[in-house]
Amino acid sequence: MSIKLHDLITKVRESSTTSGVREIISEECVQIRNAFRKEDTKNRPRNISKLIYIDFLGFPTDFGQLECLKLIAHPSYVCKRIGYLGLSVLLTENEEVLFMSTNIIRTDLASENKFIVSLALSSLGNIGSVEMLRDLAPEVEKLLKSQTAYIRKKAALAAIRTIRFVPETVDRFVGRVKSLLSDKNHGVVLGGIQLLVEILKIEPKTISEFRKLVPGLLRMLKSLVDAGYAPEYDFEGVTDPFLQVHILKLLRILGQDSKKYSNQMIDLLTQVGTSSGMNKNVENCILYESVSTILTIESPNRLRVTAINTLSKFLTGKDNNMKYVALNTLLKGVNKDSKSLKRHRKVIVRCLRDKDISIRRRALDLVFGIMNKKNVKELTQELLDCLPKAEHDFRFDITAKVCTAIEKFSPDDQWQIDTLVQVLTIGGQYIRDDVIAIMTHVTGRNQELQYYASKKLYNSLLDDRYRNQKFIQVAAWVIGEFGDILLKKSIEENEPIDPSQIIDLCQIIITSSRNDDLTKYFILNTLIKLSTRIEGYDETIQEIIKPFMKHVNIEIQQRACEYFRLFEDKELLVFSFDRIPVKDENLETQKIEEIEENSNQNSNTNTKVQENSNNQLSPNNSNNQNKKKQEENELNLMGSNINISQNQTQESSSIENLLQLDFSNNNNQNVNKQTTNTQNQQSNQSTEDFLSDIFGTNNNPNRSVNNTQNIQNNNTQNVMDILGTGKGNGTGMGRGNGIGMGLGNGTGMGRGNGTGMGRGNGTGMGRGNGTGMGRGNVNTQKKNPSAIIYNQDGLKIQMNFKLVSVNGTPAAMIQSTFTNSTQTQMTNLLFQVAVPKHLQVQMAPPSSKIIPPNNNGKVTQTFRIIKKQNIKTKLTMMTRIQYKINGMPISKQQEVKNLPLIF
Amino acid sequence: MIYFLLLANKQGKIRLSKWYQNFTKKQKTKLQKEVVSLCLSRSQRSCNFIEWNDYKIIYRRYASLYFMICCDTEDNELIGLEIIHHFVEILDKYFGSVCELDIIFNFQKAYNVLDEVIIDGKLQDSSKKSILRSVGTQDFLILNAPETGTLNL
Repeated sequence: MSIKLHDLITKVRESSTTSGVREIISEECVQIRNAFRKEDTKNRPRNISKLIYIDFLGFPTDFGQLECLKLIAHPSYVCKRIGYLGLSVLLTENEEVLFMSTNIIRTDLASENKFIVSLALSSLGNIGSVEMLRDLAPEVEKLLKSQTAYIRKKAALAAIRTIRFVPETVDRFVGRVKSLLSDKNHGVVLGGIQLLVEILKIEPKTISEFRKLVPGLLRMLKSLVDAGYAPEYDFEGVTDPFLQVHILKLLRILGQDSKKYSNQMIDLLTQVGTSSGMNKNVENCILYESVSTILTIESPNRLRVTAINTLSKFLTGKDNNMKYVALNTLLKGVNKDSKSLKRHRKVIVRCLRDKDISIRRRALDLVFGIMNKKNVKELTQELLDCLPKAEHDFRFDITAKVCTAIEKFSPDDQWQIDTLVQVLTIGGQYIRDDVIAIMTHVTGRNQELQYYASKKLYNSLLDDRYRNQKFIQVAAWVIGEFGDILLKKSIEENEPIDPSQIIDLCQIIITSSRNDDLTKYFILNTLIKLSTRIEGYDETIQEIIKPFMKHVNIEIQQRACEYFRLFEDKELLVFSFDRIPVKDENLETQKIEEIEENSNQNSNTNTKVQENSNNQLSPNNSNNQNKKKQEENELNLMGSNINISQNQTQESSSIENLLQLDFSNNNNQNVNKQTTNTQNQQSNQSTEDFLSDIFGTNNNPNRSVNNTQNIQNNNTQNVMDILGTGKGNGTGMGRGNGIGMGLGNGTGMGRGNGTGMGRGNGTGMGRGNGTGMGRGNVNTQKKNPSAIIYNQDGLKIQMNFKLVSVNGTPAAMIQSTFTNSTQTQMTNLLFQVAVPKHLQVQMAPPSSKIIPPNNNGKVTQTFRIIKKQNIKTKLTMMTRIQYKINGMPISKQQEVKNLPLIF
Repeated sequence: MIYFLLLANKQGKIRLSKWYQNFTKKQKTKLQKEVVSLCLSRSQRSCNFIEWNDYKIIYRRYASLYFMICCDTEDNELIGLEIIHHFVEILDKYFGSVCELDIIFNFQKAYNVLDEVIIDGKLQDSSKKSILRSVGTQDFLILNAPETGTLNL
C-alpha cells in the first residue's frame, strides 16, 4: 500500500538516525519500483513526487526518469506539472532521456492552455539542452508573438537560453526584440531587455542597429522615475526598481564608446543620480546601477565626479553592503578619475582593516588600483601592516600585490630591496614563488645594490637563522651569487666579514632538520658558488658537501655528487657558476616579443623532438641537428636541447627508459603549456640542458665540452629571460650520470649555472625502480582525447586535443598529425580550419609543407581554439585540405563533427 | 545571471535548490556544501556578498533560513538582494507567513512559485501581484481537475 508524500516526509523527519532514514527510503524505493513495473498509472504522480523528495535527500533515483516522460505526456495539467518538476530535478544529467522529451514539449508549446505552454517554456528555459533548444527554436520564436503577455515573457527568457546554447539561432530573435521592448507588460519588457543584452554579447555587430532604441528606453526610464504610486509595481515607494536597473544596464552597454548616445543619456542619469534618496536598498540599487553606467559611458567630467561622490557616500556609511559595492565600483573609475579618488584614500585604506573579508579583498584591489610611484611607499607600508593580522588565504593576496608593487611602481632601488626583505621577513611563507626572480631583477643592476642586499640579508640571517624557508632561500641565493662583493665591500667599509663565518652559517642551515629540502638545494648552490667566489675554502666546502652525497633525498644526493665531481675541473666549475649576466631591459622586451611570435613554431619543434627520441636517433645525429637548428633559430633551443638529454638517457641503462616515458609526457604537457609560459620554459629547459652538458663531461669530455660551448652563446641570452620572469613551470629531463643514478624531475630548479631559481611545481619523477615521486603539485595528467578526422587517398590526419586555458579563457590545443601512406610524396600542404562564431582559431604554420611517402614521417601542425563566449557545446569545425601529389592539386573540404571534446 | 539558487536552514540542511547551469549530481553536492558553509560562517554584521571562485554569492538570512544565489561578478549585488527579497515576499504571501516547514512539506509548490519568478537565472516579472495571480490560478486548476480526486498526493 502506497503512502502519501506527506506521510513519507513525516516518517523521514521522525527518524532520528541516518541509517533509519536509509531504511525507510530503500523500502519506499522498492515499492515505487514495483509500482512502476506494474504500470500503476494512478499512483504515478505521487510516486514521482516522492522520488523528487528522495532525490533531495541524496539517494539515487535514476529509475524514475522514464516515468517522468510518461507523466509529461499525460494530457492533464495536474500530471504534467509534476512531470515537468520531475524532469527538472531528476533528469538534468541525462541528456539522452531529456532529449526524448523534445517532442512532448513541442506539443505542449502548441497547447491551448496557457499554463501548459508555460510549463513547457519554463522547463525548456531552465534545463533545455543544446539539441532540444536547436529543435524548438522556431516554436519559441512563434510564442514571442503570443497574444498572452504571460507567455511572451516566458518565451523571451527561453529565447535567451536558446541563443546562449545555440548561438547560430540568434538571427531568428534579433528582429523580435523591438516589439518586446515596446510591450505594455513590465515582465515582457524585462525579458526583452535581458534578451537584447544576451544578443549583444553574441552578436556585438548589431549594436549600431539597437542604439536607435536609446530614446525609447530613456522615455521608459523617465516615466518610471517620475511615476507616482503604482500599486502593481511598488517597492517601498519606488516604481519597479528591477526594470529601472535593467534599463540602466542596457543603456550602459549601448552608450559605451558612443559619444552621441552617451550625450542623450546625460540629463536623465543626472536626474536619477540626484533625485533618489539613499535610505533604502531599492533606492541604492538604482543609484548604484546609474553610477556604474555613468562611469562606463562617455560621460562628462562633472557627472563622473558626482558619481564618485555618491560612491564615497556609500563608502562612509555604516552599511557594509554599500561599502562593498562602493569599493567594487570605484575600481572601475580608477583610471580616469584617480584625482577625485585621492580624497577617499584614507577611507579606502581603513577598509583594509575591516572585519569582513569580502570588503578587505575589494579594498586591497582598490588600493593597488590607486597606487602610483608617488604613493607606493605609503600604501605598501599599509599593506604590510595589515599582513600579520590577515587570514591565511588573504596573506597570499597581499604579498602578491606587494611584490607587484615592488616591481611596478618602485621609486628607488634601495626601497625595493628594503621592502622585499620586509615582506620576506613577515610573510615569507605566503609569498609567491618568483620572488627570487624579483630579487635578481632588482640586484642585477649595480654592485652597490648587490652589496646592500647581500649584507642586509646576511645580517638578518645571522641574527635569526630560524627564519621562514623563503627568506633563507632568497638570502642563500643572494649570498652565493654576490659573496665576493659582500666580502670585498665589507673590507672597504671597515666592517670585514669573515668568509668562514658565511660558510659556517651555510653549514648550520643545511644540516638543520628545520629546513626543507628545497632550502637545502639552495644552500648547496650557495656553497658551490662561494667556492668559485672566495679563494681557499674549497676543502671546507667539499667537506660540507660530502655527507650529502648519501642524502636520502635523491635531488640533494645528485647535486652533491655533481658538485663534488665538479671540483676536479676547477676551470669548468668557475665557468659554470659564473655570475649571471646583467639584464638588458631593451633586449628582454624585444626577446619576449620574439618568443611570442615563435611560440607556436617552438611547439612544433618540441613535438618533433619526441618523435626523434622514439626513433632512437644516435647522439651524434641529434647533436648535428642541434647545432643546425640553433643556427636557424636561436629560440628553438628548447626543442633541440631536449635531444641531448634524452639521448643521454638512452645511452644509460634500461632503467632510465622508464624515465623517458615520464619525460615524453612532460614534453607533451609543455607543448600545451607553452602558449602561456613560453619564455619561462625556455629558460628553464636551457638551464637544465646546460647542466646536462656539463655533466656529460664526466662521461665523454670532448663531446660535451663542445656542447657546452655550442650552447653557451644562446644560453647567456636565455639566462636573461630567467632574470626577467623566472616563473618557470618545471620541465622534465632525464639522464644517467655515471654514478649509476638516473633521475628526472620537473622541478624547474635552475641548477648549476648560477641562477638557482625556480620553483617546485613538480611533475612526475621516475626513479630506477619505477616508482613515481613528485614534489610540489603533482600534475595528474588527463588522458587527452584524439580522433582521426580525415583518412582518404592515403592522407591521414589525426588530431590530439587538450584543454588549456589562455589568459583565463578556456581553449583547446589541437595538434594535427599528417601522414602519407602513398608511394609519392605530397607537397604544398595547406590545412585550414574554420570554427563557429563563438570560437576563435589560431594556427601555427605546419612543421613542413611536404609529407614524406610510405608513412615515413609525419608533418604536424598545432593550432588552438579559444572560446570567445562561454557556451558549452561539442566542438565542430570546417576543414579544408589542399596539397599536390605528382604535381596534381587536390583540395578537399569537410565538416568535422562529433569530436571527442566538449568545450 | 543567476547560476543557482539555494535555500538552507541554519543547520546547513538544504531545503530548496535550483540549478540553471548543468552540473552533475556530484558537483551539485560539492558546490552546495561549499556555498552553504561559506554563508553560515559569516558574521551577522558582514556584508551579504562573498567572492567565490569566479562568481559571487549573494545571500540573505530570513529567521532560520538562508537564501543564496550565485551570480556573475559584474552583476548588481544590490538588485540580487532585491531578487531574493522579491521571491521571499511572494512565498510569504503565497503560504501566508512562510516558515521552514511550509517549504519542507510543500516543496513542489515552492518550486512552482520559483518557476514563476525566475527562468534560466533571469528575473521574469517584477509584479508580485501578477505572479501570485498566476500561481493562484494554477492551484485552482489543480483543485478542480477531475483527476485530483484520484491524485491525492
